[in-house]
Amino acid sequence: MESNAVNKKRKNHFNLKRLQAESVIFHTINYLLLIGLCVIMLYPMLNTLALSFNDGLDAVRGGIRLWPRRFTLNNYETLFSVPTVFPAFRISIYRTIVTVITNLVFTSMLAYAISRPEYKLGKPIALIVVITMYFNAGLIPHFILRQSLGLLNTFAVLWFPSMISAFNLIIIRTYMKSLPESLVESAKLDGSGDFGIYVRIIMPLCKPVLATIALFVAVGAWNEWFDAFIYNSARPDLEVLQGVLRQFLAAAMAHAAGGGGGHAAAAAAAAGAPVLATPLTLRAAITIFTALPILLVFPFLQRYIVHGMTLGGVKE
Amino acid sequence: MKKLLLILVLLMVAVAVLAACGRNGDEQSDATPSPPPVTGQETQPDQQPPLDLGILGPHNPVTWTMMIVTDNMPPAADNWLMERIREELGVTLIFDIVPGDLQDTRVATMLAAGATLPDIIHVTQLDAHMAAGGTLMRLDPFLESGMFPRLQEHHAPYIGRLSFREGPVEPGLYQMATWNRFYTDDQGGGPIMGPTHGGTGFWLQKSVLEFHGFPNLDNMTLERYFDMIEEYMIANPTIDGMPTIGFTFPMLGRVWGMTNPPQFLAGHPNNGEVLVENGIARIYHTSEYAEYYWRALNDAFHRGLVDPESWTRTQDEYQAALATGRVLGFHDQGWAFGTPRDALIEAGRYERTWIPTMPVMRSGTTPWYADRPVLNVNQGIGIPVTSDNPEHKLLFFETLLQPEWQMLFTWGREGIDYHVDANGNFYRTAEQRRNADEAAWRLSNRVEVLWDAIPKIQGSLPCGNAYTPGNQPSEFYEGLSDYFRFFLTSYGLGTWTQFANDPPSNPPYYPAWQAPIPGGTPAAEAAAQIQDILPRLVPGLISAPPGEFDTRWAAFIAEFEMVNTEALEAQIQSFIDDRIARAR
Amino acid sequence: MLMSIPMLLYVILFAYVPLGGWVMAFQNFRPRFGVGPIRNLIEAEWVGLAHFRTLLDTSGHTGARFIRALTNTVGQSLLTLVVGTISAIVLSLMLHEVRQTGIKRFIQNILYLPHFLSWMIVTVLVSMALALPVSGGIINDVLLALRIIREPIQFLAEPRYFWGIVAGANLWRNLGWNTIIYMASMTAIDPNLYEAASIDGANRYRKMWHITLATIRPTIILLIIMNIGWLLASGFEIQFFLGSGPSIARAENIDIFVLRFGIEQHNFGLATAAGVFRTGVSILLLLAANLVAKLMKQETLF
Repeated sequence: MESNAVNKKRKNHFNLKRLQAESVIFHTINYLLLIGLCVIMLYPMLNTLALSFNDGLDAVRGGIRLWPRRFTLNNYETLFSVPTVFPAFRISIYRTIVTVITNLVFTSMLAYAISRPEYKLGKPIALIVVITMYFNAGLIPHFILRQSLGLLNTFAVLWFPSMISAFNLIIIRTYMKSLPESLVESAKLDGSGDFGIYVRIIMPLCKPVLATIALFVAVGAWNEWFDAFIYNSARPDLEVLQGVLRQFLAAAMAHAAGGGGGHAAAAAAAAGAPVLATPLTLRAAITIFTALPILLVFPFLQRYIVHGMTLGGVKE
Repeated sequence: MKKLLLILVLLMVAVAVLAACGRNGDEQSDATPSPPPVTGQETQPDQQPPLDLGILGPHNPVTWTMMIVTDNMPPAADNWLMERIREELGVTLIFDIVPGDLQDTRVATMLAAGATLPDIIHVTQLDAHMAAGGTLMRLDPFLESGMFPRLQEHHAPYIGRLSFREGPVEPGLYQMATWNRFYTDDQGGGPIMGPTHGGTGFWLQKSVLEFHGFPNLDNMTLERYFDMIEEYMIANPTIDGMPTIGFTFPMLGRVWGMTNPPQFLAGHPNNGEVLVENGIARIYHTSEYAEYYWRALNDAFHRGLVDPESWTRTQDEYQAALATGRVLGFHDQGWAFGTPRDALIEAGRYERTWIPTMPVMRSGTTPWYADRPVLNVNQGIGIPVTSDNPEHKLLFFETLLQPEWQMLFTWGREGIDYHVDANGNFYRTAEQRRNADEAAWRLSNRVEVLWDAIPKIQGSLPCGNAYTPGNQPSEFYEGLSDYFRFFLTSYGLGTWTQFANDPPSNPPYYPAWQAPIPGGTPAAEAAAQIQDILPRLVPGLISAPPGEFDTRWAAFIAEFEMVNTEALEAQIQSFIDDRIARAR
Repeated sequence: MLMSIPMLLYVILFAYVPLGGWVMAFQNFRPRFGVGPIRNLIEAEWVGLAHFRTLLDTSGHTGARFIRALTNTVGQSLLTLVVGTISAIVLSLMLHEVRQTGIKRFIQNILYLPHFLSWMIVTVLVSMALALPVSGGIINDVLLALRIIREPIQFLAEPRYFWGIVAGANLWRNLGWNTIIYMASMTAIDPNLYEAASIDGANRYRKMWHITLATIRPTIILLIIMNIGWLLASGFEIQFFLGSGPSIARAENIDIFVLRFGIEQHNFGLATAAGVFRTGVSILLLLAANLVAKLMKQETLF
């Protein structure tokens, strides 16, 4: 007996040491690989950042890696000098916020409804909605639809048609299905109605997935410009940021094709001062500028995604 | 009474401005012989009687929505020119700008959905969508009414070409001509061709020519071209620490950059996919010229002169490679590499820029690399049928066609954006020039979107200055660096354009690549097939290992035999015949 | 539950009602102004199944091109799916093993970055990476240094690499992003389970398999099913910017085909027909994948 216990202890001790060694090796390799991956992902972003701060004509010659060779703020100055940039920026922000909120509310409501096993229509509805991910009726029919609904040239056309997203619906539904059933049961015993359960119990528990979906929707809405272009053509005050910047980039490329006669370039050579923003560096500046807001929102949402379920709930 | 006074005041202003311009013009015409008149252009626009503005003016303010297909940006709110248009002509324009690549989508939606049309439309592709859709008004009655003499004059010599004749609508003029309506006929670096060659060429680095002692460039051949490159390359295997590239061309996204040369080697201008001899169109990709070219390239490839990355570089990388100054020669169109050239100039590497050479296959062939700008018949402003009071709008464009207004668009305000010297010559200071290159400045001081669309006077203005500063010879000479002056002097030439040929007048069908190819037809299918074969097989021709060229060439021809080239040729031929028949 | 009905109607309105436009697939649609959309559709010349026949007739050039585009699309998508899914799962597991949340979040943020670069920039970067060493092509540099190849390869000049290039570009851009869903699912795992498993003698890998992977298995299956439905869409920008050269035979996919033959030629009927065909096949694939999952007693989409 005693020897068995001692043996087991020795064995455990021995295993523990082996475990520790293995743990160190594993974590080292894990970290190395992750860091390597980070470098691969990070380098192009840093490169774009460097380009955005580099003199346009100088950048065209290539060879810019992680650091600007001829530093200038000219690219950003040029960007901000476009008068429609800031109004468009505001519109993009509004549009993103409204889209995220409406999307979260309505998609999660529908997701809850179809996640309940007792709801007979759940499966057919899921089918109908999911299939919509796989077809696109084409631009002209969509245009006609919005025209008939009076949505053209309004702010509403930027968020109203996109309030329910099939993909997000499935994600949320899956998550809700994984929540313990006992929560709902006990709430029903307490006399709560469906909507009450949804608001008071389910939603708070869904923070991780809602934060995730909010991120997806935000990125999509922030980058979307085509709908504003097609549906709001008579309202230049409703342009979105990406649309304006895209147009500006095209203008810069058109002007560059003419060559500018080389005057500014010659003057710059004489003065030794960087002066011209070229499409290459402008595009870099645009990328950084448009990615910045999302990148700032990131850490904020991350908090919810990571911590999520460890608070509350009932352990099965 | 008030109206009469207003008209009088405006008349006086008009006369004053005309006098300022006209006086210089008179002096000019005394000193130099007037250019020989070109067929069909009888009167200069400023010899028209002063406009009776009538309904156009601040007493009659209007707001029009205008859709313009352009890549430029709309003007800023504080733009002085828009302000002046508002004040003097009473017109406020709300722009709906459509980028060129999204034009098809927008037009399709507008038509199919029956959306409200703007008051004025400008598109860059007058095809069946617009006119055959019954969208635009036929402008011939207005021009013939005599109410718009300038517009009438603008269109009269080319009315045959500008008329739209396809589809169910009545044949006639539906779009006002906008680009390349030249009122004068200057050559050799004058205001029509400009000082810088924007057309095609086999470009050669200036340092290479200097290395060879500024040899005569007449009767250039591909052999001499590649020999010169090779000798320089042997002496300079690297430039600025990077390997020298002998020859390259743009390809990804611009397949024709690779496949156009055989036309020029045959002494023909750029007609797209065909060579037109005696009015007959033939696809040239399997012709003797093409074979000659690919063999020459194959040979150059094996001498290490052709960069194998030519057919895998994106446009950005191509521009970057050019901007490093290590590319000795390439085939491209001059307007396409302005940025690399500017980059080299900014870095002070003037000798790394290029001049165009014009090799031909058979000695004695006259090269035709530089072509005269062709009247653009696909673009222009049209008035939708839903627009009310079209005369008002036409009067607006009639007014803008006056030299005084045209100058506001291109040169700006005298004393602020440019100056006039004692001889009536327009010139700019360094700062004024720099301004014009600043995108932000242009948003407040130019209305590029409108300038893209409206009918323009191109060539020389009546006062003798070029219609735009870019083509003003004195502006060109001001900006020349010492090296450039030295280079030009060594060749005894005055402008870069003079390195290229003097362009002859264009045949009526030129350029044949404007021929419409209706979708879904055998011709369209043939064209798509060709656009598939070329990028797939031509790089293989160029890089064929020694001895394999003939096999690959035979395979290339075999693939072409499966293409219904006759259908494509027939389609282009009908376009050519039609143009020839309509020509005056 | 009643609240779901209006939402269902909403979805039907915005997704199904516009399907009326599919009649264009059976017409030669040439719109005229002033007659409104309904009349335009009614008046267009009816050609029945002609467009579909053109698409699938391999003896004709258009048909052959379409089939080629179809093959390329499926090849590119499948490769992207396989490579992408496996990598995303592996990466999620790796990330899950990182104990310090601060470092984990930092790494995650960096991994998400490529997703924010527009496809234009990604194309440029991909092209630069694939260039020859003399132009700074790092992939060639690395392969030569590791002695995997002896001569540099001009990747974009050879058609056979293109599918891999598409998968690789998608992988680089979306790998970090794709882990988000898996990571979010992993937050539902009770940490005590790991403790309990250790006591039972499970090593790291068994824990991964039985706990972590088991928890995210429904998500994995669902994503695979959904992606199989998307098999006929393999992207656009990479093919458009990098695939118009010598590798066009393996680059041109359905989207590019629709652009060249449908939109650029103003042939809306053909473009719509290609879209209808694509949708039909996609839904069939989707239902098939769902069925397979059901038969294997896994989580299903519906």
